[in-house]
Amino acid sequence: MAYFYGNSMLSSPYFPLAVLFVAALGFGLAPLGLAWAWARLVSPAKPNAIKNAIYECGLESKGDAWVQFRSAYYLYAIIFLVFDVEAVFLLPFAVAFTGLGVGACLAMLVFVLLLIEGLAWAWAKGILTWA
Amino acid sequence: MKTAEEILAAIKTALPEAKVELVQNPSVSGQHSLVVAPEDGLAVAVFLRDDSELALDFCSNATGVDWLDKETTEKVKATEVVDGEEKVIEKTVKHIQPGYLESVYHLYSMRQKHGPVIFRMRTANRTDQVELPSMTPVWRSCEFQEREIFDLFGIVFKGHPDLRRILMWDEFEDHPMRRDYVDPDDYEYEPTPHDEVLKRAQEHQAQQNEAKQAAEVTQ
Amino acid sequence: MAVEPDLKIELGKQGVFVTTLNELYNWGRRNSVWPMQFGLACCAIEMIATTMARYDLARFGAEVFRPSPRQADLMIISGTVTKKMAPQVVRLYNQMAEPRYVIAMGACAISGGPFKQGYNVLKGIDRYIPVDVHIPGCPPRPEALIHAFMTLQKRIEEQPLTGENRPRHLDADAQGLFPVPEPGAHDLVPPVNRLVWPLPAPKPDATEKQG
Repeated sequence: MAYFYGNSMLSSPYFPLAVLFVAALGFGLAPLGLAWAWARLVSPAKPNAIKNAIYECGLESKGDAWVQFRSAYYLYAIIFLVFDVEAVFLLPFAVAFTGLGVGACLAMLVFVLLLIEGLAWAWAKGILTWA
Repeated sequence: MKTAEEILAAIKTALPEAKVELVQNPSVSGQHSLVVAPEDGLAVAVFLRDDSELALDFCSNATGVDWLDKETTEKVKATEVVDGEEKVIEKTVKHIQPGYLESVYHLYSMRQKHGPVIFRMRTANRTDQVELPSMTPVWRSCEFQEREIFDLFGIVFKGHPDLRRILMWDEFEDHPMRRDYVDPDDYEYEPTPHDEVLKRAQEHQAQQNEAKQAAEVTQ
Repeated sequence: MAVEPDLKIELGKQGVFVTTLNELYNWGRRNSVWPMQFGLACCAIEMIATTMARYDLARFGAEVFRPSPRQADLMIISGTVTKKMAPQVVRLYNQMAEPRYVIAMGACAISGGPFKQGYNVLKGIDRYIPVDVHIPGCPPRPEALIHAFMTLQKRIEEQPLTGENRPRHLDADAQGLFPVPEPGAHDLVPPVNRLVWPLPAPKPDATEKQG
């Protein structure tokens, strides 16, 4: 029974995956474990209140680190991202510009206009004013 | 640009109540200055900024001056009766002019492209009455400079939006640019002392020796 | 248990490399001194120049300037330490992991320099933290900083792993906390850390020469 069970496990198509998973886990954890063991066994730990304090460019930290951002900040971030991605598309277009036809130019123009429309919409909605 | 006398006349016609004096500068630069009484300071400043001819819309520099008590001697001739005879005796009379703190503003006009006009205010004394009106509501550029004057000279600007120390730490109590400021005595180790440092090191050493002798006596 | 230098060279010629644990350990330490990314005044500009392609401090193992004291071995006090900044410098030094080294760069960091008689400048950072190498100059040239760095490397190399002069991270009793001065009403409190900066004997000739 055990033999059959073992055989079926070995023959399972997922067995190599499981082995790889364990190996990957070991590969990641072993250096961490070794570093921890090294630090535990060899280094004389000399903690003190200042050393364990939060690092804030040498200043004493005041208040809580968990602060809330305004939701308007995320709208800013999205608008920024749109134009960031636009630059990614525009760069290869600009590099290949001399070899392109009218159709490609028109397509790019439509793409940019769509983005500008989005910006105009956000502007009209009053997102860009930080009140 | 108008001369200092003309500016003074303009102020006098616009604000007849204001107490303004002209202080001549005898040097080559001839930058004469207007000394304004603190209570009229704000009104005069607004006039200087808003007057269409002067239009001093930019304060480039605000600074402080510490004036110590000034002792002047004057020779006075007086007639006195000595031994039944009238004699003319020369007497020297000492006057002590109380010291004061002063704030100085250098004003320019961006619109008319002229300047500087120097505008000064004086406190009543150097100890307890050290308040002057703040020029920050008139010229925004005065904000940090007035904080610096407050920090280093100890002039308290009334009407300043955020009057805190700017260079020294908040717990600091002295005003280092005053003439009677004495910096902390940490001249205990000077490997190559000279001039002022040598003097301070010697003073420090003498104090240390006195303290040591006093400790030996008590033992 | 050091190997004799002549024997070592002879073995090296035969293709045998001999070393001691001490040498190997210090070889690793001295070639991976990472400075902290921390500049105070004009000397910091020279420090930045030293790390750039022309002088290239990376040749000596100072590869990266770490932006956190937790990952740095060396603090280069590059510039004037004002009394307002001194508590922050001492706190940063405390937050560095052992072993930590300090180079005081320039006249101001050593003694206050041209601002010595000023009301706001600390008369040398070695009043609060132990300094390994001092560099004079206003500001010192990049070559001077490299020289200081090599001096520090030599010092690290010479440290034995046991005994009196062993590095501080191997000495469990070594002082780890250096008190941060508090801002006071007239000066920093205390004005000097006596454990780090014992009072030198007064110089009699200095006071008598012109007295």
